[in-house]
Amino acid sequence: MSKPGILFKKNTNLIAGAVLIGFMLIFMLAGIIRTPYDPNAMDASLKFARMSGSHPFGCDNFGRDILSRVMDGSLSTFKVALGTVFIGTFFGILIGASTGYFGGAFDEILMRINDAVFAFPSILLALLFISLMGGGTYQVMIALGIAFIPSFARIVRAEFLKQKNMDYVKSLRLLGASHFRIMFIHILPNTLTVLLSSIMIGFNNAVLAEASMSFLGIGVQPPDPSLGRMLSEAQAYLYKAPYYAIFPGLAIILLILGFSLLSDGISK
Amino acid sequence: MKYAAKKIVTMVITLILVTFFVFLAFNFISGDAAVSMLGTNASPERLAALRHELGLDEPVLLRYVKWFAGFLRGDFGISYSYRIGVAGMIGEKIPVTLTMALYAFVIMIVISIPLGIFAAMHQEGWIDRGVSVINQVIMAIPPFFSGILITLLFGRIFRLFTPGGYVSYRTDFAGFLGYMFFPALAIALPKAAMAVRLLRGTLIREYNMDYVRTAFSRGNSTKDVLYHHMLKNALLPAVTFFGMALADMIAGSIIVEQVFSIPGLGRILLTSISNRDYPVVMAVIVIISLLVLISNTLVDIIYSLIDPRINLNE
Repeated sequence: MSKPGILFKKNTNLIAGAVLIGFMLIFMLAGIIRTPYDPNAMDASLKFARMSGSHPFGCDNFGRDILSRVMDGSLSTFKVALGTVFIGTFFGILIGASTGYFGGAFDEILMRINDAVFAFPSILLALLFISLMGGGTYQVMIALGIAFIPSFARIVRAEFLKQKNMDYVKSLRLLGASHFRIMFIHILPNTLTVLLSSIMIGFNNAVLAEASMSFLGIGVQPPDPSLGRMLSEAQAYLYKAPYYAIFPGLAIILLILGFSLLSDGISK
Repeated sequence: MKYAAKKIVTMVITLILVTFFVFLAFNFISGDAAVSMLGTNASPERLAALRHELGLDEPVLLRYVKWFAGFLRGDFGISYSYRIGVAGMIGEKIPVTLTMALYAFVIMIVISIPLGIFAAMHQEGWIDRGVSVINQVIMAIPPFFSGILITLLFGRIFRLFTPGGYVSYRTDFAGFLGYMFFPALAIALPKAAMAVRLLRGTLIREYNMDYVRTAFSRGNSTKDVLYHHMLKNALLPAVTFFGMALADMIAGSIIVEQVFSIPGLGRILLTSISNRDYPVVMAVIVIISLLVLISNTLVDIIYSLIDPRINLNE
C-alpha cells in the first residue's frame, strides 16, 4: 500500500474542498460561540428587511435575522450529517469487516440483504423509518444512518476481501495474532484512503439527505432553524424576498461541494 | 433469455421480502389501528368490531398473505383517515410520479451523452475545463433548491410557466407535459452532471486503449472510431449509472413534487405519514419500491443485451 501522498502532490480538488469545508466549519463554529442576533428572535418591524450592514443576509417573514439562522441551521444540518456518517461508518465497518474477512454462509446472507437494501434510494428508506418512528432530529439521524450502512459495508467488505489474502495477514496468523487484532489493528488502517474518501461522500450524501428531510418538514422541528425548512418557508415569498431562499441554499451547496471535492481529492 | 428470467425471479423474491419486512415493521410498530381510529375511549365492543372489519384479529402471516394477494389484485386496503379504498386514492397519482421520473430520465440522457462526448473530445481544452467546473457545482445543487431557482428564473422572471399552476394529465395532457418539464429538469440536472463526468472519464480511458490505436491505424476517422468502437464500450458503465439514477429519480420526485405543488405520490405519502395513515404509507412505499425494482431489473437485462459477456459468465 502506498501512503496517501495527498500532501505532497498538488491536488486542486483537495485544496478547494478543504478551503470550502474549513470556511463552513469556521462559519458554524462562530455560530456556536455567538450568532449576530438570536436566531429565533422575531421583530415585526424587520419583516422582510433587505440585505444591509446590520443584517447582511436580510430578514425573513417573522423579521428574524437570516444570517444567524443560516449559521445555526448549517450547524444542525452538520450535526445530523455527523451522526448519520458515524452510524453508517461504525456499523458498515463491523459488517463489512466481518463478512469480508470470514466469508462463508454468513457473508452470503448478509450481502444478499445488503444488496436488497442498497438497491433502494436512501430517501425512501429514511421515509419508511420516519413513518415508523416519527419525525425529529434524532429520528432522522438514526433513519439516515441505517440507510447509509449498506454502502459503507460494501466498500469495507471489498477492501477486506482484497487484503485478507495478502502475505502480511498470513504472517500475522502464523505469529498467532487473533482475528480481531488482524481485522481492526492491521487491516483496517490499510483501508484508510478508501474509507476516508467514502466518509466524505457519506457526508456529501448526508447533508443532501438531511436538507431534503427538513425541507419536507420531517427533520429538525421549529422554531429551531434548519436549512431545508428555511428553504421550504422561503418558497412562499420567492418573488418578494429571493435572498431568503438563496442564502440557505448557498450554505447547502457549499457544504455538499466541499465534501465532494474532498472525496475526489483524497481518492486521487 | 435465461439471464432475463433469472433476473425477474430475483426481482419477485426481493419484492416478496421487501413487502414482508414493510408489513411486519408497520404491524409491530404502528400499534393498534382500531384504537388510533376510534380513540382510547372507545368501547371494547366497538374496537373488536372494527378490528374484525379491518381483519386485525387474524394471525400476522395470514394477514400478510391476504394483504399481498390484495396488492397483486390492486387492492391496498382501506385508508384509516378517509375510510375509502387506498387504491382509488393513489391509483391516479402513479402516472404523475412516473411521468416526472421518466421525463427527467430522458432529459438526463439527452443532456449528458452529447456533452460527455464533447468534453472528452476536447480533453483538457478550456471548454472541457469549464464544463468540469460547472459540472462539479451542478452536482452539488440539491434538486429542491434547483427547483426553487428554476421557479424563480423561468416562472417569475421569464414567465415560461405559472408556478403552482399544475394541470392534471386528465384535463390537459399537453399542459401537463409542459408544466412537468420544469420539475423534471430540476431532478435531471445533478444526475446529468454526474453522467457527463462519468462518460467523459470512460471515453478518455477508452481512447488510450490498444483497440482504438488499431482502429486509427487502419485509417478510420475520429468519428468512425468514436461511434463504431469507443462509444459502445464507454456506454456500459453509463448504463449502470442511468439505471441507478432512474431509481433515485423515482424516489427524488417525492421531494421535488413539493416545490412545484404537484399532487403526486410524494404529497400523499407525506400527509399520510403525518396522519399515521399506515395502509396508505405502506401502499405508497411498496409501489415506489416496485417501480425501483422494475427499473433495476430492466437495467440489468438491457445491460446483458448490450454486453454479451454477461451471459457467458453466468
